[in-house]
Parts: sequence; C-alpha cells; structure tokens
Amino acid sequence: MQPFTLNYARPAVQLEVTVPYAYDSGLQLNVLPDGRIAATDHATLRALGTTTSTAGSKTHFDD
Amino acid sequence: MTVLILTSEEDVTADMVVLRLREARVPVVRFDPADLTDGVALSGEYAHGTCHGQLSVGGRLVELDGLRSIWVRRPGTAAVRAAQPSAWLTEESAQALYGMLRCTGARWMNHPDAARRARYKPWQLRHAQRSELMVPATLITTFPQAAQEFAERHPDLVVKPVSGAHPQEPPRAVPTSRVAPDADFSAVAFGPTLLQERVVKQADIRLTAVGGTLLAARKPVNPDAHPDDVDVRFAPSVSPWRPVAVPGWVADGVLRYLRGAELAYGAFDFAEDADGVWWFLECNQSGQFGFVEMDTGQPIAATIAEWLAADGLPEDGCANAATGAGC
Repeated sequence: MQPFTLNYARPAVQLEVTVPYAYDSGLQLNVLPDGRIAATDHATLRALGTTTSTAGSKTHFDD
Repeated sequence: MTVLILTSEEDVTADMVVLRLREARVPVVRFDPADLTDGVALSGEYAHGTCHGQLSVGGRLVELDGLRSIWVRRPGTAAVRAAQPSAWLTEESAQALYGMLRCTGARWMNHPDAARRARYKPWQLRHAQRSELMVPATLITTFPQAAQEFAERHPDLVVKPVSGAHPQEPPRAVPTSRVAPDADFSAVAFGPTLLQERVVKQADIRLTAVGGTLLAARKPVNPDAHPDDVDVRFAPSVSPWRPVAVPGWVADGVLRYLRGAELAYGAFDFAEDADGVWWFLECNQSGQFGFVEMDTGQPIAATIAEWLAADGLPEDGCANAATGAGC
C-alpha cells in the first residue's frame, strides 16, 4: 500500500540542462566559454536556475 | 590561513563566495570529496603526541593546521569517482577525511554533527518551539485515527514529507500540498505522515542567517494564486524576492535557534500570515541563497566569505570552541 504522503507526489521535472560553463581547477571557479566567471553572469544563472531552491534534488534534500 | 570548501565542481553558488574570498586575498582550497582518491590526496601522521596532516588538490598543498575554516557546502559522497569505487572505499575515505578535519581547530560552517541533527524536521519543529518561534500545529504519525482526529481539530491542513526527500524510483516530487477536507487517512498507516495546519499566508519569507547576521527576503503571494498553490518552490512566480526587516522577536528566536543547534549558517523558511506574523516552517542548514542574492542584492555571499575568513571566534560569540562548531 502506498503511504498517504505519496498520494500528493507528482512526476519530477527532468530538465536536461547543459550548463554553458566549465570548472577551472586553477581558478577554482566555473568559467564561461568567453572566459568570464559564470557566477558574475546573473542572467545565465537565472536562466539555468542553478542557484535556486529546487525541492527535489537527488543529492541534497535541504534546499 | 586557508578556507577549505567542500562542494561539487558545478556549484556556482559556492563560486559566489570563492569570488569574495579571492577579492579579499584569502587563500582557498576547494574540492569535492567524491574525487578522493583521484585528484585529491590526504595524509595525517600521529606521532610523539602530535598530529599533522596535509591535503593535496590539483597541485595545491595545504596543512591541516593551516585551515582557518571549513565550509561544508554541497560535497559529494566520498570517493565515488575513484578508479574503483566501492561502498568500502567510500566509508574508508569519509572516515579518513572527516576524521582528520575534526582534529583541526578550524571553524565549521556547519559542523557535520550539527548538520546531521539539524536535518531532522521533527527536531527542527521542537527546537523552533523552544527557541520561541511560532510553529503551526503539526502532527507526525502512522496512526490513521490520530490523523483523522487532528484533521477534525484543524480542518485546513497541508501534508509534506518528513525528511524533505523525494522518491527517485521513478523520480517524483512531493510538494507541500493541501489535504482535501474529506481525505481518507487510512494510508497514514503505511508511512510516517506530516500534517500541518495551513498558514493562510500573504507572503513567503526566506531568512538567511550567517553567524549573527540575518538577511531576510519576502515574496508576496500572487493575489490571483489558487489556494492549493501552497509550495512557493512549485507555484508560479510573479514577483521577485525583496529585502525585508526582521521583526525583533523573530530575530531573537532565530539567534536562539542557531545557538542551540550549533549552526553557523541556516536558511529559514517562514510563512507570513494576514496579521504579519512569521510562522516557522523549516530551517535548511545548507539552503540555497544565490537566487535570493540575485533578486535582492543582499550581500549573502560576502557575509559568508567574511565569516569564513574571520580569525578566531566571531564577534557574536557564536562558535563552539570545544567542538569547533559554529552556531
């Protein structure tokens, strides 16, 4: 039998987001293809939602 | 003295803090424990009554004695990306890494022991009560009859996961949801169920606490929103987060909560009712903050960086010198 709480579950939105930045181990920061620091590009971060409370992370349940 | 950050490479929210530390010329070593033993190496020697150790990451070598603070942000599971990963290697690596780090005098944001306890929502609710924060009437039960009686006393309820975790096989999300007035509670017997009196809210509040600094943001509820859209994380967003002053009694309660929980960082969620009262919902000991900073311009990353870079105990006296845990 299904627990009561799961009556309210919905399919998780599986966003296949390809982030446009890559980790630079020398800088210890993520860098965009044009060399800018990703964290300074708020428009990109907003579009990707990568700094947002996600409510359903596979790896971290306290968002 | 170096700040150690344990998090994944793709964590751009951590980048916001790394940037601030770089600006302040504070040495930083960052790595993901998942990369032990491939790219990250460690060593510790216990002899002649002393203990010395080193971490090596991407060509950086840091003495464990040289760590000023440790930010446990979003670390992966130890050694899962090793050449030959195994549950045994994960346990060995986690014991070695976190065991050695516990030997240092560094300040933690947050200490693993405090973080583990702080994740328990039932404990959060009781701790918030003891901290004199307002907590909505809540029941956690596997007794269907108790759930039925609670619903009769509190006819407008929401249900949410006790752990905050979401089922993965298949991947599903369980938002905070309104319970129908005629709900059948028999399935409560098949899993612990958290029922809570719904706060008829006029706004959501996210309060980010860094040491003794409290930065709160408010997002008003969309006046056209459906009453069933309870969970701000799933509801359509029509207005940005805006900075808001923290009522004195809430600030006092939050600081009591942090001290009692031995947390240096906490992201508190409140629901603001029609009378302006802030009702405690939860405290995420590693909650996201980038989205709030980008909306509000509040200097959350800079405040975290300042806390991590500070020498000794913070001015608010909020660190536990015995355990190395901040609060």
